Amino acid sequence: MRGLADRLVRLYPRAWRERYEEEFVAMLEQGPVSTKDVFDVALGAADAWLRPQVVYVGRLAMVSRMRGSVLTVMWAWVGLVVAGVGFRKMTEYDDFVRVAQDSALVGVAFDAVVVGAVVALAAVTVGCVPVAFVALRKALAEGRKDVPLLLCMPLIFGAGFLGYTMVLLKVIFPSLGRVAVHSSANVTLFLSLVGAFLLAALASAGGVTAAVRRAEVGGRILRFALYPAAIAAAAMTVVLVGTTVWGVTLRAQAPALFAGDEGILATPTYVTWLAIVAVMAVSTAVAVVASIRGLRSRNVRHVSSRL
Amino acid sequence: MGLGRFSDPALFVLMSLAGGEKHGYAMIEDIEETCGARPGPGTLYGAIARLERRGLVEPLASEERRRPYRLTAAGASALERRLRELEGLANAGLGRLATA
Repeated sequence: MRGLADRLVRLYPRAWRERYEEEFVAMLEQGPVSTKDVFDVALGAADAWLRPQVVYVGRLAMVSRMRGSVLTVMWAWVGLVVAGVGFRKMTEYDDFVRVAQDSALVGVAFDAVVVGAVVALAAVTVGCVPVAFVALRKALAEGRKDVPLLLCMPLIFGAGFLGYTMVLLKVIFPSLGRVAVHSSANVTLFLSLVGAFLLAALASAGGVTAAVRRAEVGGRILRFALYPAAIAAAAMTVVLVGTTVWGVTLRAQAPALFAGDEGILATPTYVTWLAIVAVMAVSTAVAVVASIRGLRSRNVRHVSSRL
Repeated sequence: MGLGRFSDPALFVLMSLAGGEKHGYAMIEDIEETCGARPGPGTLYGAIARLERRGLVEPLASEERRRPYRLTAAGASALERRLRELEGLANAGLGRLATA
């Protein structure tokens, strides 16, 4: 039924779908759709194309775009965090620290990555916390339990990840880190940590996304959140540039290290670096585009419509 | 605000919402029960969109993807005016039939 409803609603113009799709599909899913209904929907769609009648499309579309932009920047930031953790893990070894101390450019590039990451974290926090707070307040006023539960997901999964890490390092395999890097135990446990981290990150971002969407947070707070989102996107750009410059400079200043096997799980350094830069580049591009689109849409108040 | 090109589906939607806020599927069932005609999904939402455009109905916060609607004050007044017109028309027609 869902497939048929989804196909039918696609007959309508985009503006109409932005306004009515969810409720229209929900209605179609409630009962059997007869051939007569299909014909009726086709006629309704033709009517919507010929005589656009959507009313709140301007405001709703604007809110929808702003919400989408803020949440997209948050997701992109999660992608950058994942890559950033990889970068931090790789560069914690003495060889990299030494090069950063000896080479001013490598050191500055590394510092830029750190500063950009801190600013991005602060901006995402400043942007997301008020939005989550408004969603929570709105949900509590409406007596809804789903939104508070969804907003608890970052705490639950964050605690779960930390708990798993503690148990792994203190109980299951205390000698992790002192075994051969390519040993199956080390690789397996490391990958399990990566998997747990990704799960926590995805579940946290997914929980916040679902909560904000379900609570139908209004335009005012989203308009505010666009500015921290833009700052986060700019800071992510700094992180990307810093990471790129760091690798290029490392290649020039310490070619043996760059070509060596100092990457994650003793993979080639340049491969790990390239993978990190690739993930950061995609995340940053997504954040910048979403941020620009959000800022552009914040002042769109009305879209012409005629009966 | 007047109802403009007042069509039956729009009248049925207003009548249905006069009995309380409802989402789309509840409106279809209510209209079928009270008016004897079951509007199709496309017809119903065409009417809702037009009524909303004219400020005669308004959406409420969605409940599990289903969005209820309610009659506005303008919608209630327009419905009453239209029903009075129909009442006058019906009385006139019945009066003529009685004297025929």
